[in-house]
Amino acid sequence: MADHVVGLFDDAESALAAAGRIKASGIGQPELISPIPVHGADEVLGPKKSVIRRFTFFGGIIGGLSGFTLAAGTAVLYLHPTGGRPIITFPPFLIITYEMTILFGILATVLGFLISARFPALRDRVYVPEAAVDKFVVTIQCEGDASNQARMILGEMGAGDIRQWNEATP
Amino acid sequence: MSTEDRSMRFADVNDDVVRSLVVTGRKYYITLACAIAVTLLCFFFPWFYQLYYGIGAAGMNHPTVWGTYLASFIFWIGLSHSGTLLSCVLHITNSEWRKAMYRSAEAMTLFSLMVAAMMVMVHVGRPWFIHWALPYPNQMEMWPNFRSPLLFDVMAIGTYLTGSLIFIYMGSIPDFAAVRDRTTGWRHHMYVLLSLGWRGTDTEWHRLGWAYTFLAVLIIPLAVSVHSIVSWDFAMSIVPGLHQTIFAPYFVVGAIYSGTAGIVTVMFVLRKYMNFEHYITKLHFDNLGKRLLVLALICTYIIVLELFTGLYIGTSTEYEQLKYKLTGFYAPLYWEMILFCAVAPLLLISKRFRTSFVPMLILSIAINIGMYTERFLIVSTTLSRQYLPETWRVYVPSLVEVSILVGSVAMFVTLFLLFVKIFPSVSIYEVKETMTQPARKRGHAEWQTT
Amino acid sequence: MNIFERFVAGWRKYRKPGYYDDFDYHWTMTIDLDRCTGCSACVTACQAENNIPIVGEKELARGREMQWIRIERYWEGEYPNAKLNFIPMLCQHCDAAPCETVCPVSATYHNQDGLNAQVYNRCIGTRSCAVYCPYEVRYFNYYNHHWPTPLEQQLNPDVTVREKGVMEKCTFCIQRIRQAKDHAKDDGGRRVRDGEVQPACVQSCPTEALTFGDRDDPESKVAEKMRDPRAYRVLEDLNTDPSIVYLKKA
Repeated sequence: MADHVVGLFDDAESALAAAGRIKASGIGQPELISPIPVHGADEVLGPKKSVIRRFTFFGGIIGGLSGFTLAAGTAVLYLHPTGGRPIITFPPFLIITYEMTILFGILATVLGFLISARFPALRDRVYVPEAAVDKFVVTIQCEGDASNQARMILGEMGAGDIRQWNEATP
Repeated sequence: MSTEDRSMRFADVNDDVVRSLVVTGRKYYITLACAIAVTLLCFFFPWFYQLYYGIGAAGMNHPTVWGTYLASFIFWIGLSHSGTLLSCVLHITNSEWRKAMYRSAEAMTLFSLMVAAMMVMVHVGRPWFIHWALPYPNQMEMWPNFRSPLLFDVMAIGTYLTGSLIFIYMGSIPDFAAVRDRTTGWRHHMYVLLSLGWRGTDTEWHRLGWAYTFLAVLIIPLAVSVHSIVSWDFAMSIVPGLHQTIFAPYFVVGAIYSGTAGIVTVMFVLRKYMNFEHYITKLHFDNLGKRLLVLALICTYIIVLELFTGLYIGTSTEYEQLKYKLTGFYAPLYWEMILFCAVAPLLLISKRFRTSFVPMLILSIAINIGMYTERFLIVSTTLSRQYLPETWRVYVPSLVEVSILVGSVAMFVTLFLLFVKIFPSVSIYEVKETMTQPARKRGHAEWQTT
Repeated sequence: MNIFERFVAGWRKYRKPGYYDDFDYHWTMTIDLDRCTGCSACVTACQAENNIPIVGEKELARGREMQWIRIERYWEGEYPNAKLNFIPMLCQHCDAAPCETVCPVSATYHNQDGLNAQVYNRCIGTRSCAVYCPYEVRYFNYYNHHWPTPLEQQLNPDVTVREKGVMEKCTFCIQRIRQAKDHAKDDGGRRVRDGEVQPACVQSCPTEALTFGDRDDPESKVAEKMRDPRAYRVLEDLNTDPSIVYLKKA
């Protein structure tokens, strides 16, 4: 079962320090929930790499290719000579390509964001409403002894409030 | 409501923003009712009349087949250019002062794009077939003409609308989550859906940061391309006075210019009527004023350059066009435009002017009136003086057109009024980022002056 | 492979600049300005042939006249030495037409007869073609036009009546060209002979100022007149490559 110990801190530095100590103690990977992005979280909780950049890049490339194919392909499928111009006219079609590159890049970025950040959430996950206001929250999934140890560390680091969280009682 | 010594705390930001969403006064309802009434009466009623009657309800005539509808279209597209573009540029350059105002600026982008799309519907002769301009597989096996600058428009504006919508939404997800915890009833359900289950974990912040930056990087070239493409609707023709390479930068600068002025107007209103005095301060007006001044100077330069380009081309048609622009039927409008867009903004050189709210409001409205005139002149002066003198004829907008213009402003106001009750119009988490951390209680953050 | 071959074939065919010279026909009109008296018979004939509505006095004053061919008048000199020049102006059926590229829905395009065709059914009324046209010969339907009884009886059954919101212009009486081509096809698949087809304006011109024919046929009257040293085309420096050749007033 997903039992979590949750410690609420008043400022980012103490929360970050607490998270660092929990990580060092080997209980598990702590998670930081905060009202604002916390700078330096990477150094404490380990570096993160997201796949979003790949989504954006390949989304853009696919968009560019499909943009040009759309413009050139439809022009050839139904031949409409206009203005004495060739059927596949590069300068205007490059503009279509450009726009489609950006469109697909944007859509792929959103897709990458949703996938890599696991959105939309379909079930309850550990959450503390105060974290959306002014509390910096350290959560750690643990049970039994580990849970006590985590509570102790959080207390030592000056957590204002320490709670238990599980799916049944959010 | 603002007190000198009251230190803003994180909780206050949430309170203020939730209050702006939930607490609705009678004034708001009255304004909203008025805006909806004006929209229906001045936009939809004349439009339906025009649909029934034909485009003849407007004042267009034989050589001047484009009129105020197209001018309004450019105007609204231009107004959209401040918001998302400004927000993106300031995001990747890490400007602190952006954070309190960008949400409403982006909303402006979104709504002015929507109004612009409506103007296209009003403009075309048979709007019931407007979907033919979209590339979709159909039983006629007919595709749109991708060589047409108008189709570049369709693609660019479609992309821009999608991009701006996604950009404003993605930036709001943490705020939806913050508001979700504080609301009840239908609002709660709505924000639960909108926040996608945002919690604010370090991983989520990290992903959001990257995705947001990528979007910003993608949207900047997009926004620049959108207005360049709108300018090509004109510049790709061979009409004297329109067929100029200066048009793309001219339109982009003009767009950012009128958009920034639009932001000043909206900021003033938000500050005054939504009680955001703490968030939108003199500093914002000062910074926006400096930007406006720079843009005004660039705009002036291009206006002058446009005349020189005409002289340099040196054909009789171009000379006639120049003469007509400076001294002809529309010349009073031209000089009005010069006054509002090139001369009046020079006042911004004074810091006292930039930091006084009411003069800034008046100036920003004047600039936008001037910019609207500029767009109107682009259409009317050039089209009424083309190659064959036999066809020369002036164009005067009809009552229907004026009414639809007024109605489109009301539509924009309506959309914005609905927005401020659904979206947190000040970004909660980004304002918090600019503040001192709650535990330390150092008082005002630096950017807050009164 | 089929679709790819189609792709390559389509691309090849229209890659060469001036590909429109290889089309089936290249219908051309010459207008001898020496012969034009400005009588407006062509205007009337066009009105009758192509179901062009009479807009009425009020709309004419607002500048919404409908005439696919109009007689432009230009005064030269001052009274009493004034000289009046007439230039019949109609769609120039440009080979490099600016109006064609700008239509977002391909409602106007170049057909294999070398005509600048306008598809009324496809038109969505952006009016951009009229802006792009330097000759101002495209006319927009600002209303649904009505023919008071019994005038609707004289509408030409071969030509549609256009609805509001649609752009229209001279078609070189495409219905007559189609008919002539059909006859020629039934007659053993031969080409249309010179003089076999005439638009309404050419047919009605009392001074024979207007001539119509296929430029590709070197024997045709049109080709002969095009060789006249007086020949010029209006606004030729815009590179629109018009199909209407004017013979300068001597």
